[in-house]
Amino acid sequence: MYFILEYSQFIIEGFYVTVTMTLVGLAGGVVLGVLSALGDVYGGKLLKIIINSYVEFFRGSPLIVQLLIFYYSIPAITGVKWDALTAGSLTLMLNSGAYQKGYFKGAIEAVFKDQLIAAKSLGMTFPQTLRHVVLPQALRIVIPPWTNEYVSLGLSTSALIVIGIRELTNVAVSISAQTFRPLEVYLFIGLIYFVWITLSLKVLDWVYNKVKIPGLAVSEVM
Amino acid sequence: MEVLACKGLRKVYGDLEVLKGIDFSINKGETKVIIGPSGSGKSTFLRIMGLLEPPTEGKVFFEGKDVYGENLNLNMIRAKIGFVFQDPSLFRHLTALENVKLGLKVVLKMSDEEATKKAMETLKLVRMDEWADYYPAQLSGGQQQRVGIARALAMDPDIILFDEPTASLDIELTWEVIDVMKDLARRGITMLVVTHEIGFAKEVADEIVLMDSGRIVESGPPEQMLKSPKTERAREFLGRLLGGV
Repeated sequence: MYFILEYSQFIIEGFYVTVTMTLVGLAGGVVLGVLSALGDVYGGKLLKIIINSYVEFFRGSPLIVQLLIFYYSIPAITGVKWDALTAGSLTLMLNSGAYQKGYFKGAIEAVFKDQLIAAKSLGMTFPQTLRHVVLPQALRIVIPPWTNEYVSLGLSTSALIVIGIRELTNVAVSISAQTFRPLEVYLFIGLIYFVWITLSLKVLDWVYNKVKIPGLAVSEVM
Repeated sequence: MEVLACKGLRKVYGDLEVLKGIDFSINKGETKVIIGPSGSGKSTFLRIMGLLEPPTEGKVFFEGKDVYGENLNLNMIRAKIGFVFQDPSLFRHLTALENVKLGLKVVLKMSDEEATKKAMETLKLVRMDEWADYYPAQLSGGQQQRVGIARALAMDPDIILFDEPTASLDIELTWEVIDVMKDLARRGITMLVVTHEIGFAKEVADEIVLMDSGRIVESGPPEQMLKSPKTERAREFLGRLLGGV
């Protein structure tokens, strides 16, 4: 196993890319997900159609195909040039946003209507109600289901290999090719993914318990 | 001085005419109690008077101004009309204190310090100051309802509307809420209350209003309404309410 340590520099760099791409994708996905969810719950007909077409496209096609479209097809059609990291980040954000929209929509709809009426009776405007009543409740409710998206996207970043990004899986393929020891290399890389995701879940769980409020747990509202 | 009034109020949901032409007014300092069988349109009437939904037809007046006719800022008027719901509808992610503070800060633009002071004073009035840091789910129904009253009261509204505030409470919790409401009535707060707590009506109401099938059947001071109602419908309904069958 010790031969792997010789490649530790590459592995660390690959892991760094994997984590960074995951976080970038999730962060962009949160923004897209919240906005799409709000638009789908409160918006007009046209907006709903646009949002749902976007969501259906990204949920209805493989991530690898989406990456290929963003890296090869879109530049070919439009003439814009971007590097693999840009194409990869955009794809992950849009893909994750499409999934997160579903989670956020569920959470927003789980905020009972009486809360909106109570806010209205105090004279709060709709934006004030969203900001002070709907989102603080929805964002707490969404954490447990959202955790799934973290895991799913984190592991899916290995698909970035198809556009040549040097993330963890890609690094593993290279090391394996150089050392001819796929068994150890892939087991070791698999272990890194496993430890990373497990620790992340522990952190998310801790955050959830930190912001949890009596009477607002998922099990109590959904 | 007239605080809240309406003229020719009608409300139709699809084929269902819930309110069939209601004229009503309440003056500053008055307490009026609305009674009536379920489905008579009491809650709908109250929600329209609280500007929580618009009427299909007719006018609502707040301090003499035609609410929907004059392009007024409805939210500014809603802030002056307190509303207490049957289900207390407290904000579930906020403590009792924060529930009372939210409107003060967001709508009335008070500083955090001012809002805390005002909210604590109001919670004290409803005897909930010791529970200020508890979340709604940690409070009993009666305690939640008193926080709901504090949330409405803290805004210094010109009138508070109560929609069956004790209907989902058991007897003892009902008393603690009713006691607080009697207190408010004696302090001269203008109140329009839908309730079947006839003891409350007897003690503090200036007028009892009986609604049935979307209309006001009869109204008058409690002594008269309870002892010698004029209409057959009022005699029948009050007879049942007061314990005869």
